[in-house]
Amino acid sequence: MRRLFGLLSLLLPFKALASSLADRGGFTFDYYADNTDVQVYSPGFSFFKTLTKKFLIGIKMRIDAISAASIRKGGSPIRTDAVTGATARRAFDDVRYAPTLLGVYDDGDNSFTLGVYYSKERDYTGRSVFANYIRQLNLQNTAVGLGFSQSFDKWDPVYKRNLPTDDRKERKIDLSVTQLLSPTSIVQFIYSNLYSEGFLGSPYHYLLGKDFARFETLPETRRGHAFTVKFVKLIDEPTSVNLSYRYYTDNWGIKSNTADIKLLRDLTDSFTVGFRFRYYIQTGADFAKNPKEYSITDRYIVVDYRLSGFSSNTVGILFIKNFGFSGFKLKGALNYYQTSSNDYIRNWYGEDRIEALFGSISLDYTF
Amino acid sequence: MIASLLIALLFPFVFSCSQKLVRVQPYEREYFSQDKMLIDPVESAAEQEGHVFLIKEASAGGESSFQGGCGCR
Repeated sequence: MRRLFGLLSLLLPFKALASSLADRGGFTFDYYADNTDVQVYSPGFSFFKTLTKKFLIGIKMRIDAISAASIRKGGSPIRTDAVTGATARRAFDDVRYAPTLLGVYDDGDNSFTLGVYYSKERDYTGRSVFANYIRQLNLQNTAVGLGFSQSFDKWDPVYKRNLPTDDRKERKIDLSVTQLLSPTSIVQFIYSNLYSEGFLGSPYHYLLGKDFARFETLPETRRGHAFTVKFVKLIDEPTSVNLSYRYYTDNWGIKSNTADIKLLRDLTDSFTVGFRFRYYIQTGADFAKNPKEYSITDRYIVVDYRLSGFSSNTVGILFIKNFGFSGFKLKGALNYYQTSSNDYIRNWYGEDRIEALFGSISLDYTF
Repeated sequence: MIASLLIALLFPFVFSCSQKLVRVQPYEREYFSQDKMLIDPVESAAEQEGHVFLIKEASAGGESSFQGGCGCR
């Protein structure tokens, strides 16, 4: 199954072709760095084994080795907190371990995936279950998908702060339709329904006002909707275009638009390169104000720039090297990300904008 | 309204076996076996960038990624 790896690593598979399960494995290394003194090194591996022609089990493991000024200093990367800030720099400030186990049933027309996810870092534990069903229709020209995930996460701040609740639960329901339009084009629609409840901010975010200091305070529930359409078209051999647009809205008043374009071209029979550009823009939450305008009586206090209005641009390159009949495939991508300038970013990070460089390289093997 | 929209979107796919939706015969699908025709041509990168965008921006969903919880959100 050509899309197996994607199917197993992602909640919503996009199986456009009839397929069968296969044994596979792979190694991945991701890297992330930004101008707020954060670096993340993420090695990982995956292994999938067929038990029968229709059943497969798999495991994925990801480790995030994190170096971050915000962790060392107890909150803001530009202000050392006397209570929470660490005094000595270690090799890494935190290490996150995130295994995923899953099982797949696939009879060609029906595919069902069930999995569990666990993540452990110093101050946060993530637990999730996810399930996904795909039905092939119309001689496998159409695939309809239904996905569900529910997390049961828990905060455990490095210092003993009494949170209103230390739980964070997130539920996501995805509906998707994938349709082959022609021998050279495919379209996909995805709708996501999201619901979150619990402590939805960061326990380390605080605001220093003129004559007061308060922790970030956010509503304890959030409901969102996202609509995405994706389109892939072979322009002419050997070049294809991959387009994506997403509209997002939620009951905190945030609305966003995301457009993404990728151009891919085969340089040889076994080597493909690509270029991508992504543009994102969002409005702020209804209750977000300029950081200087908050008073001690405000019900909600926003410190996180992600709840303010801003935009971002991402440019990137990618490559795919297929080693043919040996079963190996090497894939990679490198992206540069930049937000617009923003008062919240300036207030918390001491920078005008966030700039980040991130990339991924993976070696997959099909037995 | 959203539910109605979804039903309208999904109905013809789920409950129809219309030949109008059979646009591509099996022998015409050679291009879909190529990496450049995949919706996520580099899966590991798609997973990583899905996570990066999720923790850098307020929006979520509408993507293929299953993103388990982490404290950076």
